[in-house]
Amino acid sequence: MNGINLELFQFEFDLTWMSFFMDAENRIYTRYGGRDDSSPESHLNRNSLLATMRSALALHKVQDVLKSRLEPTGRTVRTPEQIPTMRAMLAKRKNKCIHCHDVKVASLRHLRNQDKLQRHMVFTYPTAANLGITVSPDRQSVIRTVKPGTPAARAGVRRGDTILRAEDHRVLTLGDLSHVLEKTADPGRLSLELKRNGRAIPVRLDLKAGWRKSTDPSWRESLHVVGPNCGLWGRRLNANERRRLKLAPGKLALKVTFLWGPHTRKAGIRVGDIIVRLDGQAQDMTIKQLNAHPMLNKAWGDTIPIVLRRKGRELTVRMTFPRRPAD
Amino acid sequence: MSRTALLAATMLATTAVPSMAQKPPVQKIDGLVNWVYDYEQGRKLARRTGKPMFVVFRCER
Repeated sequence: MNGINLELFQFEFDLTWMSFFMDAENRIYTRYGGRDDSSPESHLNRNSLLATMRSALALHKVQDVLKSRLEPTGRTVRTPEQIPTMRAMLAKRKNKCIHCHDVKVASLRHLRNQDKLQRHMVFTYPTAANLGITVSPDRQSVIRTVKPGTPAARAGVRRGDTILRAEDHRVLTLGDLSHVLEKTADPGRLSLELKRNGRAIPVRLDLKAGWRKSTDPSWRESLHVVGPNCGLWGRRLNANERRRLKLAPGKLALKVTFLWGPHTRKAGIRVGDIIVRLDGQAQDMTIKQLNAHPMLNKAWGDTIPIVLRRKGRELTVRMTFPRRPAD
Repeated sequence: MSRTALLAATMLATTAVPSMAQKPPVQKIDGLVNWVYDYEQGRKLARRTGKPMFVVFRCER
């Protein structure tokens, strides 16, 4: 991301792949990319990319670029290097390359240094799932399912509807929709123009407080800025290991493979220990989900109980998270 | 669709640079697509050829 104009290229910096269809004057036809909690490629496939390419070519023929008020003008330039915490971040590395997630991490750290950081700020670029809908894998503006009780369902959105516009912004892809959702308030309202049976239908979604949050943000690289982590790495036990240790399926069973936090060692946790309960949580989870729990729910300096299995015995240790780091 | 109808520009965020002021050297990923690795060069080419750009950000971590 070195030298990239962040005012022009706005996207979910926690992810690993994003694309823009543009003309030579920095104007955008459509965005393709993004992801949800399920997988890095949840919004990417060959058919939808081809469909988007065809649409971009058709739009280019008539110079039909996005013109909504939500579009960047590209007139101002702001680069990752201008984020105040970026220099300190890169100083610690041999490789001075700025990754996509570095942009978000540096931005959140800057807010943290100013005491302006709030945990919910990690939930950037909401997706269709935050509205209660899924879309067709091949044509991302066509709604495939509407979950009952969600903002979309309450607004009367139906399966088979096509999203034409969100606010005044043309929607061809989930990338386009996500761009609008990023700029929608929490709580807030969202106007959609749908096509149903050949007719344009306006609907308005009421988005309640917290609508931008998702259920499993553990994939977000920037999560470590908003709260403390357990300072360890590990792996889930397989079925055989669980049977041998009499640990039920569906329950937490993570074998510690690596320690990096001084607070982790101070708590008495060792490589080889098996974590079976963390801060009262005993459901099965990945190591990323385990580390995400305190990041999202605990404060720097808090203490939590952790139940371990070690050499056939169960023991409880207490982990005190470090004070908030200074950048 | 014509394979040459879109210009392909990619911005890699995975390569090393000696200082923040310098742009990272390119790690090419060319295969079937001949990518343009510099955005401003891509713009010039788009202007000259009248083609739209397909700008890709790809990050490995």
